Amino acid sequence: MNAPIVVENLTKYYGNFLALDKLNLVVPEKENIGLLGPNGAGKSTTLKILCGLIRPSSGKAFVDGINVVEKPEQALSRIGAIIETPEFYTYLTPVETLSYLGRLRGMKGQELKKRIDEVISLVKLEKWAKVKIEKFSRGMKQRLGLAQSLLHDPPILILDEPALGLDPRGVVEFREIIEHVGQKKTVFFASHQLVEVTQICKKVAIINEGKLLAYDDIAVLEQKHGSLEQAYLQLTGGPSE
Amino acid sequence: MSEFEKLRVVIQYEFMKHIRRARLYVILAISLLAEVLVLVLIPALHDWEYPTSVMVMAALLTVGGSLASLGAVFFAGDAIAGEFESKTGFILFTNPVNKLTLWTGKYLAGFFAVALLVVFTYIVMAVSLLVIYGEVPVEIFESFGLCIMYAAAVLSLTFFFSSLSKGSMGATVMTLLFVWVLSGILESVLSFTGNPYWFIISAGGDSIATVYGGIDMFLEGLGLGDASRFGNMMENFKPLSSGMAAWGMTIYLVGGFVASMFISQRRQLS
Repeated sequence: MNAPIVVENLTKYYGNFLALDKLNLVVPEKENIGLLGPNGAGKSTTLKILCGLIRPSSGKAFVDGINVVEKPEQALSRIGAIIETPEFYTYLTPVETLSYLGRLRGMKGQELKKRIDEVISLVKLEKWAKVKIEKFSRGMKQRLGLAQSLLHDPPILILDEPALGLDPRGVVEFREIIEHVGQKKTVFFASHQLVEVTQICKKVAIINEGKLLAYDDIAVLEQKHGSLEQAYLQLTGGPSE
Repeated sequence: MSEFEKLRVVIQYEFMKHIRRARLYVILAISLLAEVLVLVLIPALHDWEYPTSVMVMAALLTVGGSLASLGAVFFAGDAIAGEFESKTGFILFTNPVNKLTLWTGKYLAGFFAVALLVVFTYIVMAVSLLVIYGEVPVEIFESFGLCIMYAAAVLSLTFFFSSLSKGSMGATVMTLLFVWVLSGILESVLSFTGNPYWFIISAGGDSIATVYGGIDMFLEGLGLGDASRFGNMMENFKPLSSGMAAWGMTIYLVGGFVASMFISQRRQLS
């Protein structure tokens, strides 16, 4: 239970649809773990439960040993998250948005101002810092999403398709940022981009139909299946041609 | 950081939203226009004279009820549903804030914005009466109090529909239909048939103007005779006291808010 993220027999039904089927997973401290799986595999559902956005039908999810369902506010104070394509209040600017979210997390004054400048600079939104978000593209919102997830310097990052909507340069910059911050943090992120995952993570969890199919070092999976892509294809839908 | 401090932050930024959105100024312009029309059209259509009774003119200038319901509906329709519909909740809900704090903050910010509109129209009304009649009836305070209460009640009702609805537009339309159409019809039927109608929300809205006097006073004040022109429709009608109107509005204020909190706490952002 001391690991930053622990998932125990996590089960989630949407009506009659079983999205997660007794999923068990432990993410060790300061490791970057990729969560892979086809559409509808249960990746986003897992991350949403960890972020307190939805409740599991049964099973438990812990963040830093805190039960997410029982004490969501305490658990969320340890997390920085991007879930789906982030949407913000369009009437605010990035600086105001970060100020709002920072203040909700107890940050204030010069400390908050300094940190806002840092994260805005990190995601290269300096020129847009005081422009209302209504004018932002999807990629710019994604950058702001990353900025808000890093604002309070959380020990754990939970990212759901963090590079979605970014142009190729943005994808590279994003990867570099996550690689950099991932050296000091626990990063648990879902992605369809296998290249992105191999560049950031040493270990991946592959799930399908809500079940954990593999959870191992990428090197081990490559050895077993020839490549990560083959491992993914074979585990999630039988061997590819 | 205490939840109270977080509540203050939520109120501050939610209020900023209302201040920055065009709808506040549109509603403000509409209410101002309504008061200007009363001030211009009454003398123009009434031998270039205002009613001799300040109470009649005060009642005619009272746009607060319509304004309060309009403001409450347009400020709060998206308060809960909007977080789910536009998916801004994916950012907001991943912060360590109790959702009750978030919804309460949104409610209070909406209330302050509507109250701002109401205060403005009552100031315009008081100044107009002072200029025309040289006096402002003391009943204006009672009317103002009922208007603020009505705004809070409609806001709670809008929160309730917003917590149920998938989208902001649905919540807005449902509230307007409930307050302006369904309640209005029920109030008329119940009041004219001599049945209790204090618990109908539109009756609370009507009480904002009727503190100045009953329908006879309006008709006589405008030189239109008395209520006998409505035949036997008024035989069973009993005017609502401010106290009963306040009780009726309290039901919606408390019930709507509690129900909206209960429902929205259980809503999931999937």
